[in-house]
Parts: sequence; structure tokens; C-alpha cells
Amino acid sequence: MNPFVLSILLLSLGLGTTLTFASSHWLLAWMGLEISTLAIIPLMAQHHHPRAVEATTKYFITQAAAAALILFASTTNAWITGQWDINFNLHAFPASLLTMALALKMGLAPVHFWLPEVLQGLDLTTGLILSTWQKLAPFILMCQIMPVNSSLITFLGIASTLVGGWGGLNQTQLRKILAYSSIAHLGWMVLVMQFNQQLALLALVIYIPMTFSTFMIFKTNSSTTMNTLAASWAKTPALTAITPLVLLSLGGLPPLSGFMPKWMILQELTKQDIPLTASVAALSALFSLYFYLRISYAMTLTISPNNLNATTPWRLQTTSSTLPLAISTTISAMLLPLAPATLALLSP
Amino acid sequence: MTPTHFTISSAFLLGLMGLAFHRTHLLSALLCLEAMMLALFIALSLWSLQLDATGYSTAPMLMLAFSACEASAGLALLVATARTHGTDHLQNLNLLQC
Repeated sequence: MNPFVLSILLLSLGLGTTLTFASSHWLLAWMGLEISTLAIIPLMAQHHHPRAVEATTKYFITQAAAAALILFASTTNAWITGQWDINFNLHAFPASLLTMALALKMGLAPVHFWLPEVLQGLDLTTGLILSTWQKLAPFILMCQIMPVNSSLITFLGIASTLVGGWGGLNQTQLRKILAYSSIAHLGWMVLVMQFNQQLALLALVIYIPMTFSTFMIFKTNSSTTMNTLAASWAKTPALTAITPLVLLSLGGLPPLSGFMPKWMILQELTKQDIPLTASVAALSALFSLYFYLRISYAMTLTISPNNLNATTPWRLQTTSSTLPLAISTTISAMLLPLAPATLALLSP
Repeated sequence: MTPTHFTISSAFLLGLMGLAFHRTHLLSALLCLEAMMLALFIALSLWSLQLDATGYSTAPMLMLAFSACEASAGLALLVATARTHGTDHLQNLNLLQC
């Protein structure tokens, strides 16, 4: 792609999300969402491949419908209350409509069906943008409307954690697994969002470097299925050893930083006296842990048969920069001792 | 709920129902999206007319501009889908399932 076009697209991607962050007016927030959707579409369709075009079409239809629904809900709110402010308390019906529209935009559970298919059709870099940066704007909007229909939010969260665990179980495609893991993590964030938005933000802030490092690891190995990961020990031995840490951090095992949000969310849910929701969420994390463990097993704990000539590509100098990957892996493995500082950083 | 509001809401919801349940052609999905946006355009203009909020009279135009951009992106994707899949049937968009 032409670098001028690429820079304009990336800048509009940033502009859209920033506009949504900064706006206190629903129309402006909608414009930000539209700008970021329209800016990523050429990035997704840049390879003229049937899969990429199909993924772009599916993404476009769902995002356009969700954006129209957001604008419809805010217009209805304006017709009823005469207010366009985001921070103003919403009427109950537009609030539920907005929650569902934002859930469709992020890919939460009953309306998540587009996310695995869209992510499957993209290359890993665009998929990384889709599963991190594009989630920010709807997430912040959802945080801002938050004291809404509590049972709907709890249903969305529980369904997302369950579906995110269940859907990934039988997958061998890494991008689909990552899509389901994204659904499950967003479910955790939504679950705690109505009680403590700081914790939801913390979970998002921890989720982003973990997903970044996972996508970058797969990109370094240029692998999109579990089979090809088995040969990574010959290509990048150090990364092969570190990958289980990142994956188990995504799964939420204790000494790693992915444990921090899950720990605090479970504590908050227990404090709010809803132990049933907390236990269902905690048990559904086991499903996710299973498929992360399976990737780790296929990649690290087995040595696949290889011929002698192909065992030494790790000696070759790599041309790509490894600094971002190094930083994000360190963050996603070792942030747990800094939990109080991270929480203090996010406090209002 | 005033009759005007009811009419606009049902027009929008009819478009949404069409998008969700009538899944034959990509073109008809794009037309449903456009119908939704036009219902929103009328809702925004009537809102600013009814409340005499002259500051909001640019809002429908801005919204219309954005929906035109969206419609052109949708038509471009229609062309791209016709080139890669050979048809605009939504049933043929099945490469990514598994």
C-alpha cells in the first residue's frame, strides 16, 4: 500500500478513537466510531484475497448496523429527554438498546458471531489492530453509560465468558482461538464494569499487552495454525520458551500478570454479594485455560520431527525489530507485583 | 411517544429487521442500511425543528455526509465481493466458517 494512503488511514484510525474518547455528545461519539470503522476497511481489504474481502464485508455490515443502532438509541433518548449528553442519565429503553449495540460493536456473547470469522480472514497485524485498538472506543462508551440495566449486563458478561471458553475448545486455527479469548476477556471486563469501572479499565490495560505479544509471537513465527507452531523451536528458541508464560498469563495463572484482573474482579464480585456469578465466571476461565495449555503443549512441550538442515534457522539474523515484542512480553509476564501501582494509576 | 416518533422508530426498526432477517443479496442489505440511515436523518431534522434548536440544524447534514461515505464503502465492498466470489449472494460468503 502507498505509504501516504497508509499514513492517512492510520491517522484516521487514531482520530476516530480519540474523537469518541473526547466527546460528550452522542453525535460526535458516533462520528468517531464511523471514522474508525471506515478507516480500517481499506486496511482489511488491502490483500485482494477472497477471504480478506469476505471478512471485510462481514465486518462492515455488523459495524454499520451497530453504529446506526447507537445513533438510533441516542436519537430516541433525545426525543424522550431532550438531552444529547453522554454523561446525562439515559432513559431505560435507549440505555438497553445502546448496551446491545455496543456489545455488537465489541463482539460480546449473544452477538459475537462475526468476530471469529472476521479475525480468521485478516492477516495478523490487522487482526491485532482489530482486537485491541478497535475495542477501545465502544468500551469507553460502555463505561460512560454504565449504571444501566444490571441483569442485562450480567447476562452479557456471563454469556461472553462461557462462549469465549466453549468456542475455542475445538479450534486449531490460532486467530479463531484468539477471537474467542478476546470474547472471554471482554466478558470479564463487562461483568465488573457496573460495580467498579476502574477494575474494568485495569483488565483492559492488562489485556492489551498480552494480546499484542501473542499476535506478535505468531507473526514472528508466521503461523496461523497450531501445526506450524510446532516447528518454532528451530526458528526462535527463546521465544518458544517465553510463549507459554504469555499464554498462561492470558489464561490467568497466578504468578503472571493476567492473574491480577481476574483476582480483583472475583474479589469485587464477592464483595457485591453475588457469589454465583463469580463462581460461574471463575469456572468458565478453565475452558480458556484448556486451549491456552493446548497451544503451549503443541508449541513448547513437544519437539516435532525435523530434518537436520531445518534445525538451525535460529542462527540467522532477523530483520524485524524485536523491541516491542520484548517490552510487551515482559509486561504480560511480570506485572503482578506492580498491581497496587497499576490500580493507583487508573484511579480517577 | 408521539405519532411522529412512532413512525420514525418503526421505519428504522423495519430497516433493521430487513437487514437481520432477509439475507439473500448483499445489495438488499446495503439498501436496508441506507433506509435506517434515512430514518435517522428524518428523526434528527424533525427533532431540531420541533425544539427550535437552530444550533442542531447542521447535525442532520453531518449525519447524511457520514452515511453517504458509509454507503460508498458498502458499494465498493459489493464490487470487491462480486469480483472475488463471483456473486452478491450472502450465502456464498462461507469461506471463513469452520
